[in-house]
Amino acid sequence: MPITPLLKINQLTYNPPKRWNFFSPRPSFVLGPVDLHVHESETIAIIGGNDSGKSLLAKLIGGAVKPTSGEILLNNQLINTHHSKARANNIRMVFRHSAESLNPGMSIGSMLDEPLRLNTQLSAAMRFEKVNHTLSLVGLMPEHYYYYKHKLSDGQQQRVALARALILDPQVIVADEPFAALDPSVRSQTVNLLLKLQAELGLAFIFVSHNLGIVRHMADRTIVMSEGQIVESNLTQTLFTAPEHPSAQKLIHAHNSLVSY
Amino acid sequence: MIILDIKNLTLEIESNGVLIKALDKVSLTVKENEIRALVGETGSGKSLIVRAISGALPPQWIVTADRLTWRGENLLTMKQAQRQAIMRRDIAVIFQDPMAALDPSSRLQEQLLESVPEEFVEGRYWWERNRSKMKIAKQILARVGIENVAQCINKYPHELSLDICQKFMIALALISQPTLLIADDPTRGMETNIKKQILALFTHLNKTRDLSILFVGHDLLAISAMAHSMTVLYCGQTVESGKMKALRKRPLHPYTKALLDSAPSFSPDLQPKSRLVALDGTIPTLQHLPIGCRLGPRCPRAAKECVQAPTERSINEHKYRCHYPLHLQVV
Repeated sequence: MPITPLLKINQLTYNPPKRWNFFSPRPSFVLGPVDLHVHESETIAIIGGNDSGKSLLAKLIGGAVKPTSGEILLNNQLINTHHSKARANNIRMVFRHSAESLNPGMSIGSMLDEPLRLNTQLSAAMRFEKVNHTLSLVGLMPEHYYYYKHKLSDGQQQRVALARALILDPQVIVADEPFAALDPSVRSQTVNLLLKLQAELGLAFIFVSHNLGIVRHMADRTIVMSEGQIVESNLTQTLFTAPEHPSAQKLIHAHNSLVSY
Repeated sequence: MIILDIKNLTLEIESNGVLIKALDKVSLTVKENEIRALVGETGSGKSLIVRAISGALPPQWIVTADRLTWRGENLLTMKQAQRQAIMRRDIAVIFQDPMAALDPSSRLQEQLLESVPEEFVEGRYWWERNRSKMKIAKQILARVGIENVAQCINKYPHELSLDICQKFMIALALISQPTLLIADDPTRGMETNIKKQILALFTHLNKTRDLSILFVGHDLLAISAMAHSMTVLYCGQTVESGKMKALRKRPLHPYTKALLDSAPSFSPDLQPKSRLVALDGTIPTLQHLPIGCRLGPRCPRAAKECVQAPTERSINEHKYRCHYPLHLQVV
């Protein structure tokens, strides 16, 4: 394992914006401070109860939400500014409902073409080549370039969402519940695909999930969150056999009691 | 005793002048005091079965069945009022997606109070009756595990989180003390702790109140933790049914095996990060149904014969529909 981590997060916090006026509800949720580091080709799973801030953390890392304070270092370079190109190119996000995060009015090809047009200097022909290559990488056909989202099945839409994350050759992929909306057989296909891509491209993969079976299968390290804090972080196998923090214990025991029937 | 008996239920939908069989000869039984799971992926028609039982199908869809009976009475031919009475008191349904099923324009309290059956309400005058209704409602909410009942009950569905709404749906179904509870994907998207709570509640009701449950969904982990028997559905056809233990130990249909393999928790000696076994492709859409056994194009054991729909065969109580089941060698 390399000594300097690929992605390093120092003291990241998020406070909801200030109250608009006296009558608006009082913000109660505060995230962090969070420290985290991710190595190359490592898979990290974030688990936790409802309202524990898992998705928010994923969004903060992915850049969909601006943190209040703290810094994110990629290859030891600060990428805190909100619209940084380094972030857009290297940290990509797969959103929770991948089906709804695709634009119904754009063909798959132009959806994938857009990030290339905005972030790279490639010519049109090279972009076309790149899109086709990425489509085949996630197991889609070249003709899917001209399809619209409604023509694709759930699993294929998930693949497009993944292709959109992969298209800029990122180093880190952040996914918010990528398996929640999928059927068992499609879920297995997606898991296989992710494992394959990770082995081929050396991606670091951070994902949020409720499905502890998948977490146990895929993740190298697992992070347990509770009330906006990371309460436990350990190797997956260690965590699943001997959780320490009460909220981690509760989750793992609930899972184990379901499995042991 | 069998309370709900479905035999060869077929549901046809007309689309562009062609009749499509959305459900093709589905058979299903629920015995008294039994928890039966109905397992299938999205698009396999599980929710259609639920709607066919509850009578919530559009009138232009054609339902035919050899048997669709509730305690020996034919649900398809009985009078509308009689059927509604059964649905009101004996069968309760938890519909998928609580946010869509709850009325967005009225508070939870109103929705719950109006579904308290009149027989349970005590007292003669309206204030006594109202108080009694409220008491029943609060009891049931506490039982399904909603904390701070007083706070939640005065809110609209959109103000509450999904899992509270889901618990509320369960309360709504249980309030008439039904004999059969049909739960359509009640644990979807729930985190493990809450899921366990809900399953414990179901098991408890099953043991203490003799409640039969038809548990519809594809969360095999939850299902195997509580169900006694299971029916597997693929694309509108029942592929296998039998006792939960037998099915998990030795599935006979390739599809059941693929489903069981898809949950890594079931195979403890699976290496982390190894490839999961999965069928290629996805479930076909209604417009492109294959003929014969609908698993055919995706099945690893498919052969020429599979274009003919297989008939039901059974070993003891374990029924399956397959030409080349897993316990026979492929020639």
